[in-house]
Amino acid sequence: MTTINRWGFQDLGLGVGLRSPHFTHILTEQPKVDFFEVLTENYLDTGGRPAYVLDQVAERYAIVMHGVSMNIGSTDPVDIDYLKKVRALAERTGALWISDHLCWTGVLGRNTHDLLPLPYTEESLTRTIEKVRIIQDFLERPLVIENPSTYLEFATSTMSESEFFLRLARGADSGILLDVNNVYVSAFNHGFDAEEYISAIPGERVCQYHMAGHTHKGTHIIDTHSDHVIDTVWDLYGFTLRHVGLRATLLEWDADIPGFEVVHDEVLKARAWRDREVANVA
Amino acid sequence: MSPENAPPGMPSLHDTQRWLQAVISSPGTTLEAIEDPGAATLLPPERLGELIRPSWSLEPAERVGIYHGMYLLRMEEALETDYPALRYYLGEEAFSGLVAAYVAQYPSRSYTLNRLGDHLPDFLEASDWADAGFLADLARLELAITGAFDAEQSETLTAEALQAVPPESWESARLVPVPSLRLLALRHDVLPHLKAFHQERPNPRPRRRATWIAVHRSQLAVYHLELRRPAHALLKNLVDGVSLGDALALAVTRVKASKRQEQVFTWFRQWIADGFFASVELEPAG
Repeated sequence: MTTINRWGFQDLGLGVGLRSPHFTHILTEQPKVDFFEVLTENYLDTGGRPAYVLDQVAERYAIVMHGVSMNIGSTDPVDIDYLKKVRALAERTGALWISDHLCWTGVLGRNTHDLLPLPYTEESLTRTIEKVRIIQDFLERPLVIENPSTYLEFATSTMSESEFFLRLARGADSGILLDVNNVYVSAFNHGFDAEEYISAIPGERVCQYHMAGHTHKGTHIIDTHSDHVIDTVWDLYGFTLRHVGLRATLLEWDADIPGFEVVHDEVLKARAWRDREVANVA
Repeated sequence: MSPENAPPGMPSLHDTQRWLQAVISSPGTTLEAIEDPGAATLLPPERLGELIRPSWSLEPAERVGIYHGMYLLRMEEALETDYPALRYYLGEEAFSGLVAAYVAQYPSRSYTLNRLGDHLPDFLEASDWADAGFLADLARLELAITGAFDAEQSETLTAEALQAVPPESWESARLVPVPSLRLLALRHDVLPHLKAFHQERPNPRPRRRATWIAVHRSQLAVYHLELRRPAHALLKNLVDGVSLGDALALAVTRVKASKRQEQVFTWFRQWIADGFFASVELEPAG
């Protein structure tokens, strides 16, 4: 277990995603939340209420940014105009780090707005490392990359997702956002061992955890962010803490969003696991 | 990286991505999408199993189908956020059909779904849908509302600042609109349909009637104001950068002589109070 990552990013504690149905509650009640994660693309081109709320929240809380359109795995070139806006938003909010996903979202200039899986090959690894390096040079900070939930695997892959993820992080010198629910979802969908996957993750690169609910379809699981975190995923979170250590932990809830207190209470469940880990270390 | 790096007979990384994008964004069933020439030229359908592994529970096509099924749902979710009154008017099924046809012609090319619906009014106008002109006008109103919602924040011109303009500068002064101000000149009366949506009441029948509307944001909320034709003409000239003197000269020809001064004064008072303008630009002296 490592207690700190290689960039010294703080363990911010327990945070939730900033979502519009909660704007009024957050501004009026000013809940005691350790940090907020903002969906990058929601704030790049808006000067209205979302921008006003974000400025207010950034005044009071620690902010991290989480994107869905960096398209790091695509064969398309890096979108510099997009990166300029990302960098400007990070400066405006004082975001402590910027994350996106190990995926591609579109090619030939299009965007499917889905987190599409890559074939895990030497070719895609080389390309992705190259793009992440360009992105990091432009942003002048490490990119924190999240493992995705995926629903298909390429027969052309020559390595596992965990090996690809690990080699990408080392090759590009990037950070890791470990989504514990995504590990669980992909492990179920593809039949790999979730604990084995997590055990291969280099703790010194992990900057943040994601937790979320999902939808079980019987034959597969969809990462819907629409429910409470199931107990098995909390158990996996405990395993992750033992292997990696304490890191900023964020609860995502993006569909059928309940009241703020329900979302906040969900992430506060992580406190017991964190306390247990601290006691074990002591 | 060259295609030589792909296993024999398998598409390169670039073509693999082109193939998957073509399949998931293709209408119809997943099998139809896989067999569509746009995808099949990149990967013959009979070789699907060589590119996609089966899982313990799903065949390759079923796994691709998960992404295929989610694509249109995501597009529809984005467009119904921007066009709720249009969806309310059309109903769920017709709106889904509209989304499928629209995104086939105008797929997203932006990092944000907020821009997905930008072409919908023009798409509707050019379509052969029943009441296409009315639907296009309703979409124009909703596009203006989302545009006003997202526009940059700015200061607003106060009555005091306007009164401080020296009398000799009035003729050449230009009013700068706030970024959120949108002016619409429509052929159909679409405001009752926006109201019907907000009040969850039955929609009236589409009615052809020239309608002029200003949409703007104030105190973080978006408002609309129906204008009379001469008011719209004056406001349009001001927004287009015509000087106050010229804009007023053009406007008074459209208003009854006996009411000119009072009418124009009333309009300006409302527009300033509503925060339509950010500042006043004066001609440099000399």
